[in-house]
Amino acid sequence: MAEGTNGRSAAFFRVEGTLLERGPLAAAGWLASNAQGVGERIARLGNVALAAPLSLVGELRTGATGTRVTWMGLRGMSEDRLVLLAEEYVEKYVTDEVLEVGAELLKKARKQGRRIVLVSDNIDLIVAPLAEQLEADDLICNRLEIRSEKATGRLEDPVIGGNVSGQWARAFAQENGIDLSDSWAYGASGADSLLLSAIGQPCAVNPDRQLRRLARDHEWPVVEK
Amino acid sequence: MSVKKNGSKNGANGRGVARTGAPPLRETYRGKHLLVTGVTGFLGKVWLAMVLDHLPELGKATVIVRPKKGEDATARFQHIAERSPAFRPLREKLGAGAFRALVRDKIRVVEAKLVEPLCGFSEKEADALMRDVDAVVHFAGLTDFEPDPKMAIDANIHGAQHAADLAARTPDKRYVHVSTCFVAGRRSETIAEEITPGLAPNGVRFDPAEELRELEAGIASLDTKKARIDYAMGRADALGWPNIYTYSKALSEHLIETREDVTTTTFRPAIVECARSYPFEGWNEGINTSGPLVWLLSTTFQRFPARATNYFDVVPVDTVARSMVLVVAAALRDRAESIYHCGSSDLNPFTFRRAVDLCGIGIRRMYAKRGDDYEKNVLAKLDPACVEPEENPVFGHRRMRLVARATRNFLRGWKLSDNVSPKLYRKIDGEKLDEKLRSFSMDCRTADRKLGQVEEMLRVYMPFVNEIAYVFRTQHLVDATAELTEEDRELFGFDVADISWRDYWVKVQVPGLDKWALPLLRNEKVPDDPPLEGEPVTFQAEEPSAPLRAAV
Repeated sequence: MAEGTNGRSAAFFRVEGTLLERGPLAAAGWLASNAQGVGERIARLGNVALAAPLSLVGELRTGATGTRVTWMGLRGMSEDRLVLLAEEYVEKYVTDEVLEVGAELLKKARKQGRRIVLVSDNIDLIVAPLAEQLEADDLICNRLEIRSEKATGRLEDPVIGGNVSGQWARAFAQENGIDLSDSWAYGASGADSLLLSAIGQPCAVNPDRQLRRLARDHEWPVVEK
Repeated sequence: MSVKKNGSKNGANGRGVARTGAPPLRETYRGKHLLVTGVTGFLGKVWLAMVLDHLPELGKATVIVRPKKGEDATARFQHIAERSPAFRPLREKLGAGAFRALVRDKIRVVEAKLVEPLCGFSEKEADALMRDVDAVVHFAGLTDFEPDPKMAIDANIHGAQHAADLAARTPDKRYVHVSTCFVAGRRSETIAEEITPGLAPNGVRFDPAEELRELEAGIASLDTKKARIDYAMGRADALGWPNIYTYSKALSEHLIETREDVTTTTFRPAIVECARSYPFEGWNEGINTSGPLVWLLSTTFQRFPARATNYFDVVPVDTVARSMVLVVAAALRDRAESIYHCGSSDLNPFTFRRAVDLCGIGIRRMYAKRGDDYEKNVLAKLDPACVEPEENPVFGHRRMRLVARATRNFLRGWKLSDNVSPKLYRKIDGEKLDEKLRSFSMDCRTADRKLGQVEEMLRVYMPFVNEIAYVFRTQHLVDATAELTEEDRELFGFDVADISWRDYWVKVQVPGLDKWALPLLRNEKVPDDPPLEGEPVTFQAEEPSAPLRAAV
């Protein structure tokens, strides 16, 4: 826990949309496109591409299925390659690409002594360096399952999907002594609505159409830049 | 005079080193006088720098150096001390004046030739030189895989015997011999830290002295280097050694092991590669084992014929130097095992599959940093992979060579002017096209020659990357580390298990080779370190101590 955090109030940041433009599909696609050998790259990219329609439209968008399918394309890739490629991805697309609006909100929340919780459906190899860079207290994200130094293509349970339920937020709060009514949550898409609804002070950041409508309906503050 | 042998005469696992803890290494080295050969080589330099840096209690090191390229032994050594990156941490720590004083105080340079009996000294000179030496540490050797056997015999067998002859003239007869793990020959198994003199890797009994006599007699009558290599390779193969290097190093071990006049401790490193931290991350010197492989994989050659599950037994040079500090200490305490392996396959195995995969990423990062457009956009995107050596991929080197040779043969006698009408020839600017075809034909010839070199290189490497699956036990270094004080363990403990191959290979080894070894393959020079403040800009020989010839 960061120094100065009172342990009761937290700020939940949905990474996708509030802190980073690129989501897990972009990361999985980039990793697949850098697999060992041209043939392997094409096959893996094709596999990741299967997840695109699931992640972009329809009911599956908000559940864990789309997330699971996204990472299936990395099955059989060596842990070495994944770790090192993720380093490159972070250097290229994460470290200097943090959205200004999110970074400012996070800075403000830390100043107010809130515990910073990042929530992401990306994998730890991509978002853990971000959490470190932003000095977050907690990171809730996915982890690729590794067996015999190779990715199995599965994610370790529990899988964080496109949406995070209010039930999860309540359980997390109870486990960590967080007062949800005195906490903030920042999200950017309609899929984040369940999380935002469960927190006392929700805030929509550069919201998509669905979240904008919800925010208007619930009179949640909207931050745009 | 007969002396007690190490290890092998005292049960299966040597003397059974007591686990009661040893005194600090500083105490073991305090006031000791070592005679060291091969300090101009990669490992010897790092070891000497490390000892001078961390064990200043050492009394003195007499180093045997041969003159080279117009420099006498003293000037050559001083040049190395003041310009080699191996001594950089020590130079930077002490500054020019104190460093020079340390060298003057601790190092005595002796000009000698290891290939001559008693290294070229008279009996009287040798006695005078060795009378207060506590141990002889023999690093010198020839590490080429297929050298002229004459040179290999001189450097690896006679040189070692002559160094041991000097050790026999010291009061305690201690001789520390640097060999190689690969004397194990063609044996796909776990290799114990032991030797049975006169037993070849393939199980054949032989007389080492007789083998050497026959080898020397055999090559003496042969006029060409190739004939001598073929002859020596034939003998090596008949006993189970895959090349002249391992054969000559092994013969040397067998001959020394049968000597009764010295107490021998043999240190066998595996493949010595870039430093992890000492003298600094990534340092390497010369074209070593993995340099050509990394170079090859940084070209369009992407299908590396190696058994993916075999171990690439690589050890960073500072890990080897640390281990060597332990081994010399054990010898000085008269508690050394007979043989010490220093490899990674036992405690932290690294497969060829991983090595080649990591090479791909390392090379991609290398080109991202300094490559031209072709390297960044094409070569960096080609990822190498292991293929079964029996495979002959469409874009493999064998087929590409056939295509290059066939194209060259076709184009050699072929001219556009002979095959089209003069009118058409003029219309399509035939002269220019003929010139281009000639140039293309030359490119094909170059490609044929280069691919031939690649084939030759792969042939030399093949036993180690494909045929033989070794695991070298390293228990003796583990035991030696267990005895160390905490401070010594930090500086000198056998740390191979701590290596993260992923980080080492991509962030240390490939960048290290790119900086220190690959330029040599491109016939470029690797620059010396710049002088420190107070050192002359242009190197000028200054005698740190008088050579022996002047002293005795």
